[in-house]
Amino acid sequence: MSENKLLAVNQLQVYFDITPSMFAKKAIVKAVDGVSFEIGKGETFGLVGESGCGKTTLGKAIVRIYNPTSGNIIFDGVDIANKKNKDLKSYRKQVQMVFQDPYASLNPRMTVGEIIKEPMEIHNLYTPAERNQKVQELLEIVGLKPDHIRRYPNEFSGGQRQRIGIARTLALDPDFVVCDEPVSALDVSIQAQIINLLEKIQRDTGVSYLFIAHDISMVKHISHRIGVMYLGKLVECGESEDLYRNPLHPYTKALLSSVPIPDPDIAKSKKRIILEGELPSPINLPSGCRFRTRCPYATERCGESEPPLTQVGTRDVSCFLYEK
Amino acid sequence: MELSKDLFRKLEDNEKNSEFIAVQSRTYLQDAWIRFRRNKLALAGLVFITIMILGAIFVPILSRYTYEGQDIANRHALPSAAHWFGTDKFGRDIFVRIFYGARISLSIGFLAAFINLCIGIVYGGISGFVGGRVDLFMMRVVDILYSVPEMLYVILIMVVLGSNMTSILIGICISSWVGMARLVRTQVLSLKQQEFSLAAQVMGASNTRILFKHLIVNSIGPIIVSVTMMVPSAIFTEAFLSMVGIGISIPMSSWGTMANEARELYQNYPIEIIWPIACICLTMLSLNFIGDGLGDSLDPNKK
Ligand SMILES: Nc1ncnc2c1ncn2[C@@H]1O[C@H](COP(=O)(O)OP(=O)(O)OP(=O)(O)O)[C@@H](O)[C@H]1O
Ligand SMILES: [Mg+2]
Repeated sequence: MSENKLLAVNQLQVYFDITPSMFAKKAIVKAVDGVSFEIGKGETFGLVGESGCGKTTLGKAIVRIYNPTSGNIIFDGVDIANKKNKDLKSYRKQVQMVFQDPYASLNPRMTVGEIIKEPMEIHNLYTPAERNQKVQELLEIVGLKPDHIRRYPNEFSGGQRQRIGIARTLALDPDFVVCDEPVSALDVSIQAQIINLLEKIQRDTGVSYLFIAHDISMVKHISHRIGVMYLGKLVECGESEDLYRNPLHPYTKALLSSVPIPDPDIAKSKKRIILEGELPSPINLPSGCRFRTRCPYATERCGESEPPLTQVGTRDVSCFLYEK
Repeated sequence: MELSKDLFRKLEDNEKNSEFIAVQSRTYLQDAWIRFRRNKLALAGLVFITIMILGAIFVPILSRYTYEGQDIANRHALPSAAHWFGTDKFGRDIFVRIFYGARISLSIGFLAAFINLCIGIVYGGISGFVGGRVDLFMMRVVDILYSVPEMLYVILIMVVLGSNMTSILIGICISSWVGMARLVRTQVLSLKQQEFSLAAQVMGASNTRILFKHLIVNSIGPIIVSVTMMVPSAIFTEAFLSMVGIGISIPMSSWGTMANEARELYQNYPIEIIWPIACICLTMLSLNFIGDGLGDSLDPNKK
């Protein structure tokens, strides 16, 4: 995979300082705390985890809405983690983001045509006539009608809005798109349509996705590889089918236990792990392994030091259970 | 009940119009205008202000009297066919003077609101958009400006620059843009976290573009309402100053100066003071109604 690598995230940290006033005790949210992974050209990397584990923060740091606290984001061989906004012009052309909330991600005062045209205006691409042409093509690709161009976002359903959002990201022919739970706000029947659309676009253009979701069974279908995130860290990472069938990390097992299994034989043979307790606060992280407070296999050792992400077969797992 | 399979058939592609939109497409402002029209008080206010504006432009041009032309033989005349609103203590036609005064009063009102709008949008926009320390500093400056009463600024500036329109305008604007700046800042602060503004950032939009095309445009409702409310408050400040004798100076006259002149003799000739005061009241009332109506009709949550 390393020969056609597009993006490499290396020990990325994103901390938020939420100290309420100058005199209060320092409070730091470690939303993303040392995450590393790679995404190849034309590949989809699925990122799953509970609510609040830092998936969105990671996605937003990659598209540089947030500034990383430390670490590298190497895109096409260039580290963009610490570049100034004004030096990111070409990166901003190649990397786009599809947002979670289709109702908030479109400017309500702009028509669909203006929305899709905006990225081309910003980057001075094409002549005005070509832009209109391109808008029509994009509308067709995402399955909207040509006369929708003059309408406002509030006239569309959630699924249609998400299509508009996708058309907007495609306007710049990006190489990489971060999809932050692009279907979680949508009706189940619409979810599949949007996923299919994203897959079709990938087949046609060879774009890579970072696909964020909290439901592992959804990510499995679209992703080539999956990373499981817990409290700002990747705890397991591997080929999607493999990881789904044979989860190693207790947290991944727990996530998969919550997925209903259609086949009763398989269901019986699987030991269910029910997650107990609340997600600890990312301000006061547990010592050692972050998952130990909820882990049924936790030993004393887990509280002493943090298990490193180690290779087990084709998989990366961070758990002492799998130490050689 | 038994349903047999042949009752169902697969839809042809052209029959699938599940995503058809039946409502006719209207822009935000068209929608707002339709809602505004339903509010009768606001509409009446709009009609009144329109008449005043047209009168202010055309009456002094078309009338055979001028605002300063005196007719000593005809002082304190009651309303008649020759002088519709009567004449004042120098025999000047009150009708013409009222509309000439409207020129001054309305210009001050609208100009002050416009200046506040421009300063407020830029200042509040930058403060909210940049945020952090810059925001903290800019807002403290605003707090300090705001802590001094408006009248004090106006009176001090009139003392230094003399009694004319420019100094009244400067005096009114020096502190009242603060309200607009605060409003714009609050709007920008909350809108800049919205996903559409993040999307613009991701696609590489410049800060100016995000601020004006995405943030300000979406705050236009509250901004318009607040501007509408600033007009009557500026008109009132000017009228008050002129009425206590430190505003617009003779021979120019605003409604305030007219009321001031009529005040000395109001027991003998009450009608002369009623005209300017009625104008001030009705104009302020109308603008407030318009502001209220706009507030309701520009709020996208009310449909
Ligand atoms: N701008 C911010 N300032 C301070 N804290 C933040 C900020 N953004 C996120 N956080 C915190 O970082 C943690 C991770 O949040 P994030 O939104 O990345 O979670 P998530 O995995 O996307 O969750 P969800 O599935 O609910 O979208 C949360 O505890 C959140 O409160
Ligand atoms: Mg999220």
